[in-house]
Amino acid sequence: MKVIEVDEARCLALCEAETGERETVEIALVDAGPGDEVLVHAGTAIA
Amino acid sequence: VKYVDEFRDAELGRALAGEILSIVEPGRHYKVMEVCGGHTHSIYKYGLDDLLPANVELVHGPGCPVCVIPMGRVDDGIALAHQPGVIFTCFGDMMRVPGSDGSLLDAKAAGADIRMVYSPLDALRIAKSNPDRQVVFFAIGFETTAPSTALTLKRAKAEGIENFSCMCNHVTIVPPLRALLDSPDLRLDGFVGPGHVSTVVGARPFEFIPADYGKPIVVSGFEPLDILQGVHMILRQLAEGRCEVENQYKRVVPYDGNQRALEVMAEVFELRPHFEWRGLGFISHSGLKLSEAYADLDAERRWTVPGVRVADPKACQCGEVLKGVIKPFECKVFGSACTPERPIGTCMVSSEGACAAYYNFGRFAREREVV
Repeated sequence: MKVIEVDEARCLALCEAETGERETVEIALVDAGPGDEVLVHAGTAIA
Repeated sequence: VKYVDEFRDAELGRALAGEILSIVEPGRHYKVMEVCGGHTHSIYKYGLDDLLPANVELVHGPGCPVCVIPMGRVDDGIALAHQPGVIFTCFGDMMRVPGSDGSLLDAKAAGADIRMVYSPLDALRIAKSNPDRQVVFFAIGFETTAPSTALTLKRAKAEGIENFSCMCNHVTIVPPLRALLDSPDLRLDGFVGPGHVSTVVGARPFEFIPADYGKPIVVSGFEPLDILQGVHMILRQLAEGRCEVENQYKRVVPYDGNQRALEVMAEVFELRPHFEWRGLGFISHSGLKLSEAYADLDAERRWTVPGVRVADPKACQCGEVLKGVIKPFECKVFGSACTPERPIGTCMVSSEGACAAYYNFGRFAREREVV
């Protein structure tokens, strides 16, 4: 998924799938900023 | 799409299939296990086994998180869901897994408040929105999903959410692989290693496979070319007399894994002495429970669960399928009494289950088109 916006204080990001769906993703386990691609599993970016 | 289109190139796929054909020894039968249910799904979705020589057999492993949950744990979950005031949450696949007296979906139909969630964070949100109810999250999955549960439990503790708890069924991948390698039922030549689990644990934990058992393992991604290249790398090791851990999925998997994920898991979880796996029985140190620091968020400590071991239905051969001993279509009830709509066994429930993959992609018999 592509990171759209990051809420650093809460370690959350708004991410968009290739289908256009958006969801809030936990990003505490990765270094990710807007525009980055992240691998999301069960609502958490693991890579 | 970036990272997808380039790994679905049909020309490259045909070229890789040709390379594979050129390195296999005629007359030798190769058995390669893909550990992860995601691989099984991709193999049948894209018809990858049809691109392999007839003497290269893909055997499906125990890496589908839903498939390995034994019936007794489903019964325990249903017992929690029936507790007064409880909202029980779980992933969608889990709702259809049969227990000894029906599934979570049946329990929901009978009146229990059971809700499907996409992530543990969703379950925590439900807890925040329903402060007068107790919300239980039924956690399943390998090391891929465990960090998500761990982070949610950390968040619940930090925010003081006292009406949230977790029934932990997380499992680890290495002990069942060792159990399979120790099994006399199965002769394997190599492994397609689990890509997403390895994103968290890295490739290093699999070093015991070549070191102790003399078998190659290649951690691979999930696109068609990833899997074909993974199989090619295994066969090349065999052709060259090597056995090593190789990483085909380097664009995602660091050799030492995701350290932050491993740290949060180490803080929140500890190993159970043993855990029951469907079809594989009890395996030492293969399941996770909440550590003492998080014991107050452990649903199994808040309520008493039956904890009764339940044998699989006699007709169901999920155990043999999960061990790679039989193919799904060799099960007596495959496609007749057991279908995705009315599953008897777990392997027919999840899309990552071998039986569901065979059923959904029309693999009802061992008929292969020679390419």
